[in-house]
Amino acid sequence: MSTASAARIPQTTEPLVALSNVGFRYPGASSDALQGIDLTIERGAFVAVAGTNGSGKSTLCKTLNGLIPNYYVGDLTGDIRVAGLTAAEETVSSLSKKVAYVFQDFENQLVRPTVYEEVIFAPLNFGYPDYKERGERALALLGLSHLRDRWIWQLSGGQKHMTALAAALSLDPDLIIVDEPVAQLDPQRARLVYDKLKLLREQHGKTILVIEHHTEFIADYCDRVILMDKGAIRWIKPVREALSRVEELAELHILPPQVTLAAKRTLEEERQEGESALPYPVTLGEAAEFYRQRDVGSRLNAVDGGSGAQAILRGTAKSGAQEPVVRFDNVTAGYKTIDRTPHRVLKNVSLELREGDRIALVGSNGAGKSTLLKLISGIRRPSEGSVTVCGFRTKDVSPERLADYVSYIYQQPEEMFIEDNIRKDISYFLKARKHPGYAELVDGLMERLRLAGLADRDGRLLSGGQQRRATLAIGLAMRPTVMLLDEPTASLDALSRREVAAMLSGELGSVKTAVIATHDMQLVAEWANRVIVMHNGEVALDTDKRTLFSNSELLRQAGLTPPQITQLGDALNLYPPCLSVDEFVRRVQSALKEEVPAWKPSNKASSTS
Amino acid sequence: MEAIKQSLIDKLSVEQIKVELMRTAFGRRSTLLSRFDPRVLLGWYTVLAILPWFLSNKFVLLGLLVPVLVLTFSSKVSPLVLFILGLGLVSEISYILIGSLLFGGSLDAVWPLMTLTLKLLIISLASIAVFNSMDPERFSDALLSLGVPGQFSFGVSYGYRMLPILIEEYHNLFYSFRLRGKAPGNRGLLGWRSLVYLVRTAVCTFYPLMLNTAKRTRTTVEALEVKGFTYALASPEARKLKLAYLRVGAADIAFLGISLLYLIALCVGGHWVSF
Repeated sequence: MSTASAARIPQTTEPLVALSNVGFRYPGASSDALQGIDLTIERGAFVAVAGTNGSGKSTLCKTLNGLIPNYYVGDLTGDIRVAGLTAAEETVSSLSKKVAYVFQDFENQLVRPTVYEEVIFAPLNFGYPDYKERGERALALLGLSHLRDRWIWQLSGGQKHMTALAAALSLDPDLIIVDEPVAQLDPQRARLVYDKLKLLREQHGKTILVIEHHTEFIADYCDRVILMDKGAIRWIKPVREALSRVEELAELHILPPQVTLAAKRTLEEERQEGESALPYPVTLGEAAEFYRQRDVGSRLNAVDGGSGAQAILRGTAKSGAQEPVVRFDNVTAGYKTIDRTPHRVLKNVSLELREGDRIALVGSNGAGKSTLLKLISGIRRPSEGSVTVCGFRTKDVSPERLADYVSYIYQQPEEMFIEDNIRKDISYFLKARKHPGYAELVDGLMERLRLAGLADRDGRLLSGGQQRRATLAIGLAMRPTVMLLDEPTASLDALSRREVAAMLSGELGSVKTAVIATHDMQLVAEWANRVIVMHNGEVALDTDKRTLFSNSELLRQAGLTPPQITQLGDALNLYPPCLSVDEFVRRVQSALKEEVPAWKPSNKASSTS
Repeated sequence: MEAIKQSLIDKLSVEQIKVELMRTAFGRRSTLLSRFDPRVLLGWYTVLAILPWFLSNKFVLLGLLVPVLVLTFSSKVSPLVLFILGLGLVSEISYILIGSLLFGGSLDAVWPLMTLTLKLLIISLASIAVFNSMDPERFSDALLSLGVPGQFSFGVSYGYRMLPILIEEYHNLFYSFRLRGKAPGNRGLLGWRSLVYLVRTAVCTFYPLMLNTAKRTRTTVEALEVKGFTYALASPEARKLKLAYLRVGAADIAFLGISLLYLIALCVGGHWVSF
């Protein structure tokens, strides 16, 4: 990455992107969104842009496809060259042929009714006579040909993202920019997207630029990291070196990979003062190798395999029998499809949810998680069997009546903001019931969830983390016995995610039973005391979290990816599975201090447990 | 009675209406009418929508009704749509009749009302048959080819793309109101209080829906820019390329010809027969 005089070098060796001293200010803004940006990106690179919200990541990327300054008019300074074009002389249209952009809220990027219409839209607009072939080719490239005639609304989130990518590829661009793919997708689907990007780079020579703060993905796929802070580039480093700067990343609220954190702490125990240990392992493979060198696997099993495992497992024993708060008796539920045939989403489910349960409801998309929550809230009713909530059969009472006991927090916060400011939203339930002194109650709650300063703002215009806190407050203001949450940590950055997780683990007032439907296995590991795995509309497993994570076959089937630290433990044949970095480091430390009784080859070690 | 009430509620539930709406909009059917060029269909429909107002001969009107009925049934129209149409017609006749009785009229008013009803029926069924058969994409292209501005014809197909998402969001918002609201404790005579509550909620739901939609469009307009939509508006090649598939064929000519011949035959027949 040199800032050599790119223009004079022949076309083939010219970097794909060359920015020099670029600055930008949105009209009416009091400070620069970008300042002094010098950046070159070689052809065929896979680069990540990281940084906090508002650090200028998206603004930077929008200068590359001409949205800035052609669409967002503002003060742009400096030189931008992209794919041999000087941006200042080009239009959005001409730059878009070279630069593909997949937006963060990619759903709104899809403007046509079907997949095929979507992928031919851009080449058709630009008047390419071979627009049909271009569309078909883009679909084939991503393995989407089977979705060709689907309606957009029929697709899953992952398929929509792929379609947005295919539509961008139909113009055969040199540079592909993807804005936060992991934020809106579950981990497995996000990995599929990254695998495709990797393929596009390796087999078709595309250059990839992702805006990303999920460092586990950066470690696995990218080769360089651009760290942005307050509109400027703080540094550009190779990925391993970048992610090893743990403190600096933490300061910008970027969470390094769990394995890196673990290795750093292990090294700090080992090393003397002043000795440098950088760079740390950043991928799962590197970390496994790092610990194998220390013979941790066999040592741990020598320690944990016996009494240690028993002690850890004992901590997760189930609570005793009580009158269930929610009961499902042979419940079947579903909806009618467009050709009027019934589609059963839940099949013959029987379940009891008890007081004190903190249930994580996991499983792939379409497994029936949301339907289960809707049945408890009374939004849907079973077609067979019955659901009893706090003594009421949901079939016999209205959702309004059930709302006295159950609060249901949607996955999309926007769908919960029915008033024009969040104080009204939070008060709505109490006000409708003419609750005396509701104003103080709401004030207290807003204080606790740090919403006091935002009371008069419209919920729709808040940041992702603030929106989640607001919906949590709406739910808690109903003082429910049962609290249901659908993907409360989805699409949050590391900091907001941690905040929400901490709130859920904290005081929930009147709540006796909480159910969270989630793909976030780290949340499961931190929060749940009971895990229900849904698969094809049935309860595949009802257990505790350690048993869940030791059942790798089921995890794979249900489309779940355990936390990275659990995977590391698994790679080292650790049993019982590890749930947090703290626990992992503790177990490793105690193993390393132990005298090893006799040397055992690590591949045999697992059979002892 | 209870069973009938339950089955009626099932048929008219939000869920059911959603399915029927989606079916009407997205159930891909190949029907008789869908085979013709959309511009030809639009022209055919325009004539049929205007012509009945200039006819009063019941023989001719009934003669028009027969093929329109056949085409409606061949278009596999959703029963819900027909039900709403029926409801509209019955209430239309009733209120005019009640009005005429109140102001001293008699049952004689029924006969001329039948003529009006017949005209309305022909026009409504024709619109149902044509628009149920015509893919909105083709409709939008037909408009473009007839010289309607690109922004407008795109709007038609974009609305088509957004419809299911808006329905889904409306449904969720509606329940957001209900899950936090309080239904009237006393349902009132025939449940009128409950009805007022639900209708009020159904109307209120549109406000957050509109705000959410406004927020959503920000990315959409950026994406349209990137995908060359504004570029295409100014480019005749893109338009030509897009509309190349629209062609008036022998089947279209035959369809128009037969329609015209039938109409002439009816008018001639109407000369002899009238009642």
